[in-house]
Amino acid sequence: MPRIRLFRTSSFRLALLYAGLLTASVLVLFGVTYWFATNYATQDEDNEIGVEFASLQDEAQLSGQARLPAIIDNHLRLRKDVQAIYLLQDSAGRKIIGNVPAMSPVIGSATLRLRVDDRPRQVRARGYNLANGNYLLVGQDTRTLRDMKALIVRAFGVGLVATLLLALLGGVIVSTTMLKRIDAVSRTARGIVAGDMSQRVPVRGTDDEFDELAASVNAMLNRIEDLMRSMRQVSNDVAHDLRTPLTRLRQRLEHARRRAQTTEELHEALGHSIAQVDSILETFGALLRIAQIEAGGRASEKSAINVSKLLAAIVDDFAPAAEDQGQTLVAEIDKGLSITGDPELLTQMVVNLVDNAIRHSPPGARICIEAKAVGDSLELAVVDNGPGIPSRERENVLRPFYRLEASRTTEGSGLGLSLVAAIAKRHDAKLSLGDNSPGLRVAVLFPAAA
Amino acid sequence: MRILVVEDDAETADYLIGGLEEEGHTVTRSGNGRNGLFLAMTENFDLLIVDRMLPELDGLTLVKTLRASRVETPVLFLTTMSGIDDRVMGLNAGGDDYLVKPFAFSELVARVKALSRRPRGTSVETGFKIADLELDLLKRVVKRAGNEIALQPREFRLLEYLMRHAGQVVTRTMLLDNVWNYHFDPRTNVVESHLSRLRTKIDKGFSPELIHTVRGSGYCLRAPD
Repeated sequence: MPRIRLFRTSSFRLALLYAGLLTASVLVLFGVTYWFATNYATQDEDNEIGVEFASLQDEAQLSGQARLPAIIDNHLRLRKDVQAIYLLQDSAGRKIIGNVPAMSPVIGSATLRLRVDDRPRQVRARGYNLANGNYLLVGQDTRTLRDMKALIVRAFGVGLVATLLLALLGGVIVSTTMLKRIDAVSRTARGIVAGDMSQRVPVRGTDDEFDELAASVNAMLNRIEDLMRSMRQVSNDVAHDLRTPLTRLRQRLEHARRRAQTTEELHEALGHSIAQVDSILETFGALLRIAQIEAGGRASEKSAINVSKLLAAIVDDFAPAAEDQGQTLVAEIDKGLSITGDPELLTQMVVNLVDNAIRHSPPGARICIEAKAVGDSLELAVVDNGPGIPSRERENVLRPFYRLEASRTTEGSGLGLSLVAAIAKRHDAKLSLGDNSPGLRVAVLFPAAA
Repeated sequence: MRILVVEDDAETADYLIGGLEEEGHTVTRSGNGRNGLFLAMTENFDLLIVDRMLPELDGLTLVKTLRASRVETPVLFLTTMSGIDDRVMGLNAGGDDYLVKPFAFSELVARVKALSRRPRGTSVETGFKIADLELDLLKRVVKRAGNEIALQPREFRLLEYLMRHAGQVVTRTMLLDNVWNYHFDPRTNVVESHLSRLRTKIDKGFSPELIHTVRGSGYCLRAPD
C-alpha cells in the first residue's frame, strides 16, 4: 500500500523528472565525448597512415623506386599485427602488390569497405598517385577505432544505468522523508477529526519549512481550541442561565395549578409567568443580537458618525431618568468628533454602558459620558463613582452571563457588556475597564478612521 | 376594520384572528404568500398583517409587489426576523410598521389601531389641537390654554407623536421606535422619565388631564368625552 502511494506523491514525481533531466545530460555528454573521441582517433590514424607513406617513400628513395613493391611486401609482413593495408597498382589499374584487390583509385583520406585477405573489412586509407603513374593506397584496419567507440558506448551505458538508479533511489529517499513529515501533519489532523483536540504536529527543531508549517498549524489549532472552549463555555452558560428561570417558571405554574382558588389568583400567576417568559425571550434576543453583530455583514451600514452629537442626544435622553434615581448624568464631550461606524450599534453600545452605570450606582452618584480625541484615535468613556468592579473581576464581566455576586439580585441578563464588547470588536475598537477610584471607568478606544 | 392576516403558522394565525376578532375586527386569513397577494390585490382591506417567511412568496416580495401595483393598504410586518437590517428592509419594501415576534397582544392591538388612523393621503399636517392643547409643527410651539409651554426637543417629538395618535393607546415600544429611534430596549426608564416631565409641563395646573397611563399597555393622550 505505501509503495503504491509513493509513486503518486509529488516528491516522487519530482524525483522522476530529476532523473529524466540527469539522463538527458548524460546523453548529451556521451554524444559530445563520442564525437570528439572518434574525430581525434580518425585524425590519429590519418597521421599514422601519413607517416607510413612517408617511410615507404623514404625507403624507396634510398633503394630506388623500382624496389617499392619489395619494400611494400616487407612492410606487409612486418606490420601484419597492426593490420596494415597496402595496394600498389599500375596506371592501367592492375594490382602489382598488396593485400586488397585492385580498385578504382581513391585520392586522399577515406574510410572504405574492402576485402582484406579475402575478408571484408572497414579500413581507413589514403590514396596517392605516384610520379611513375602508379597508384598507392596505404591504410589500416579501423578495429582500434571501433573498439574505442564500443568502449565509450559501454562506459556511458553503465554510467547511465548507475545514474538512473541513483536518481531513483535519491527520489525515493527524498519522497519518503517528506512523506513521513507530511504524514505527521495528516495524522494530527485525523486525530483531531476523530475527536482528540489535544493533538499537535510534532516539531523537530530543525527550523526548516516543515517545522514552520508545523508551528503555524499548531498555532491555528491552539486558536481553534480556545474558540471551542469559549463556545462550550457560552453554551453551558446559556443552558444553565435559561434553566434557572425556566425552572422557576415551572414551579410558579405548578404552584398556581395546585393552589390558586380564584380567577384573580390564577390571573396574577399567569401575569408573573408571562413576565418570566418575556425575560427569557429577552435573553434569547440579546444572544441573537450578539451573534448577529459578531457575524458582521452589516458593513453597508457603516457611515461617518458625528459622535459628539450622538452622545449629546444620549445624555439628553438619559439625564431625566438618572435624575429620577437621584443621580446626575453629565457630558464631557469635545466638539466635532467623528468616526466611521454603525450609528445604531454605537448608540446601543453607549446606551448599554449608561444603563449599567445607572443601575449599578447608588443614588447620588455622578455618571459622566466622556469623549475626546487621543492622537488619531477617539476615546469614548462612561465613568461613574459607584461601587466599581474589583480589578480581578474586570476580565470576567465581559463574559456572557457573568455577574458579580453583588449584582446577582438585580435584574438583567448578564449580557449587556458582552454586547458592548461585540459592538466594540465590530468597530475594531478596544474596550477596557478601569478604576475611577472610586467607581468604574469603561473606555472604548476607536482607531483612526481609515 | 377588515384585516388580512398572511401567516403560515396555524397556531399563530388562530391566536391573531381570535384576539383581533375579540377587538371587533373582521379577519381573513391566508396561509401562503401568493394567495395573500391575490387577496390583497382583489379585495378591500383596511390593514394587512404579513409574516416575512411565507410559503410560495415571501412577505417582503408580497409587499413590494403590492406597492408597485399602487395598492396602499397599510402593512404591518409581524415576524421573527429580528436582524438589525431586517426592520429597515421591511420598512423600505413598503411596510408601515414592523413588529417582532414574540409580542404582547396589547402591543399588536395598539399598533393596529395606530395604523388604521394613518392619514392615507399626502396631506401634511401643520399642527394638532386636542382640547385646549395646541401644537404648531411649523413654529415648533406648544400652547395650553393659550399659554406657551417650553419643551425640550425630545419632549416636543414625544408630544407630537402622542397628539398624532390622540385617542389611541401608544406603547412604550412604539415610543422607543418612533420618538427615540431605539430598536432595542434600554433598561433605564427613558420613556417614563420623559413622559413624567412632559406631563408636568402639559397637565400640571391645567384641567382636565390629557395624558393618561393605560395600565399594562402604554399611554394615551385624549380629550375628555
